[in-house]
Amino acid sequence: MRVPRDSLAISFKEIRQLGRDPISLILTFMFPIVLIGIFIVIAGAFGAPSYNIPVAVADLDNSPASQVLVNRMTTSPIIRVVELLPTEDQALSLVQGGSVLGAVIIPQGFGQSLLTTGRAFVVIQTDNSKITTPTLILAAVNIEAQNLASTSGAQFGVKQATVSVIVRPISGRPPSGDQILPGFLGMITVLGAFDDIVNAITRERERGTFPRLLLSPVNIISIYTGKMVATVLLTVLRTTLVLIIFVLMGLTIHGNILLVYLTTALIAVFTLSLGLVMSARIRGSSTLTILEITLTFPLFSLSGVFQSPELLASGGRAIASVLPWTYGNEALRRVIYLGLGPSAIAGDLLILFVSSLVMMPISLMLSRRTM
Amino acid sequence: MRLKLLSDAIAVAGNELRQFRRNRTAILISLIVLPLFFTMTIGASSGGATTHFSPTADIPIAFIDKDVSTDSGLLLQSLRSSGDFNNLILGYREDNAVATLGSGKIYAAIVVPNGFEGSLNNNQTGNIILYADDGEPGVADQISSTLSRDVQNFNPNVVVQAETSGLGQIEVLQKGAVFSGFNVGLVVVLGLVQIFAAFYEIAGGISKEREDGTLARILVTPSGIASILLGKTLFDSLLTTIRTFTVLGIAVFLFGARPNTDVGTLLVVSLIISLLTMGFGFLLSAIRVGARAVVIIEFFLVLFLFAFSGLIIDSELLRGISKDISYALPWNYGFQILRRTVLIGAPLTSLTGYLLPVLGATVLFYVSAYGIFAFSRERLAF
Repeated sequence: MRVPRDSLAISFKEIRQLGRDPISLILTFMFPIVLIGIFIVIAGAFGAPSYNIPVAVADLDNSPASQVLVNRMTTSPIIRVVELLPTEDQALSLVQGGSVLGAVIIPQGFGQSLLTTGRAFVVIQTDNSKITTPTLILAAVNIEAQNLASTSGAQFGVKQATVSVIVRPISGRPPSGDQILPGFLGMITVLGAFDDIVNAITRERERGTFPRLLLSPVNIISIYTGKMVATVLLTVLRTTLVLIIFVLMGLTIHGNILLVYLTTALIAVFTLSLGLVMSARIRGSSTLTILEITLTFPLFSLSGVFQSPELLASGGRAIASVLPWTYGNEALRRVIYLGLGPSAIAGDLLILFVSSLVMMPISLMLSRRTM
Repeated sequence: MRLKLLSDAIAVAGNELRQFRRNRTAILISLIVLPLFFTMTIGASSGGATTHFSPTADIPIAFIDKDVSTDSGLLLQSLRSSGDFNNLILGYREDNAVATLGSGKIYAAIVVPNGFEGSLNNNQTGNIILYADDGEPGVADQISSTLSRDVQNFNPNVVVQAETSGLGQIEVLQKGAVFSGFNVGLVVVLGLVQIFAAFYEIAGGISKEREDGTLARILVTPSGIASILLGKTLFDSLLTTIRTFTVLGIAVFLFGARPNTDVGTLLVVSLIISLLTMGFGFLLSAIRVGARAVVIIEFFLVLFLFAFSGLIIDSELLRGISKDISYALPWNYGFQILRRTVLIGAPLTSLTGYLLPVLGATVLFYVSAYGIFAFSRERLAF
């Protein structure tokens, strides 16, 4: 009976302390807003209707078919033909110099080949040091070539594609950036919980109040449980804030909202448990924060925030499979995006719960040893 | 005068180095955790630099052949031999495959419908249906684009599918070097590790000295502010050099990376980016930013770099204010220099357009920091 009462007292102390520290209070709720703001910028760029990527075109054929292709490329919303050049070398040197991000070379005999064999090729050279533009240029040229086939195919002897792929996503919804949003909620939860641990333990150590707390007639289990309850409360508030922003952005939460709260609470509890282990050895708040940030950024690429861990190389997949956050992010996606129920995410939640249970005794043991 | 500046700077650098040597946590984070963790993450995510990596190769995908024809059999064979679909699972029915999607057992189902062979024989387009788990970010898009690319070259009249045996259409051939995901990631790691560490070491170090009271003592010593800035810069340049070699060592010997430039150029570029970040760190320290604020600024700096420096999406694709932010961030040009040297092998002398903003910003940061430090030197409490 004493443990829950003491834990509750500690959690109230934590919340009161945070309320009296305006900088920490602002920070704890500013993280979600800034992160989502940055995401909106990135998602906006990914989903932009036009890009105007500068490309050069060298039409070495000058046939009616090649001219139609060039005309199509000049009206493409993705690429912008900035130079029409007579030679391949000139086009390639522009790419190498960085003046354009891609060059399209229509080889000599392009039109003739289409008329006689129904097949032809164009060559593109892209600045492959860029991350996304080469794929976009390739896609744009492919689209225009396909359009040439479908609209003017008979005229130029182009055959239709042999096999086409019809994609049916299981959500039944068109592609969007919505799949990434649940991962962002997971990311915000992790960052928030890391910030809480810095507030909860290391800063208290720096102020000298932690030894006093330990000397009070309160069990260390109550202290840690109380801090955990405070983190869960803050996580609930952060989750609410993020969900409100999501809804304002037009995202529909397809699953049970309570499952979303349960998942973020479990992610926060695991992160806090790990933070307690780390804080037992690292005493300075700045050092702990910097270490947490250092660990956080690579972990995001491994735990499926931006892309599914299934798309990683075997080493990455192996690491992802032992990171409890991976399961948390997956559970959030399954609930928010696919609208699945508790049975679909029970395994994920169990992993998070068990991982926290494993971490807690370790942190208690380390804390006692370093007290 | 010059000799005194230099000897004072060396003394300050020596002091920094001694302090650093006594701080095990700092050594661990700066020289081991940061370079090792970032580089290993890139290696684990994208495979080595020399190995071919297809993101869809090992994803479990159901293959449901409702046509049961020679052509559908050839299509299965063609997909299996492409290297992009090594984990095609047979035996599912269409309805239970669709029901299984979302459970994590399979992530897509390829269905070859009845009449597939008939369509091909009649010179019509044969359709195949891809059910994809779009609850996993990127999976549906990746499988769909890889499958579309592979079937574009499918020719039912050829038993062994050649790589470019397209029947019709206009084929688009991509020319030029294609860089592995690891090499592209190496650019990001080389830049980020230096920015991350240099900023924390300079801004964090000075703010801690201010809180400990040692900064005021250093400022009242006969050493000039220029010596202090130079000494700290020398010390951090040494750490930058060690970090560069650590990252390169792991990348080259563990993951087979082959940067397209020499070690000297790589070191110079790393130092340029590090100096820019140090200058920014000095400027923030000059305006009395506290230790906690340093950490917060560091977090947002890295976030901004991720969003606006072409690390997730090329800055050329950004629009409006985000594009302006991207062009205003000098680190963006630093990453461009790294890309063009490490990947393309461009000599530094050809990159003046990128070098000028970086060097200009570095000078501006250092001069501003010096000015503010000098202006407020008399106030020992700062």
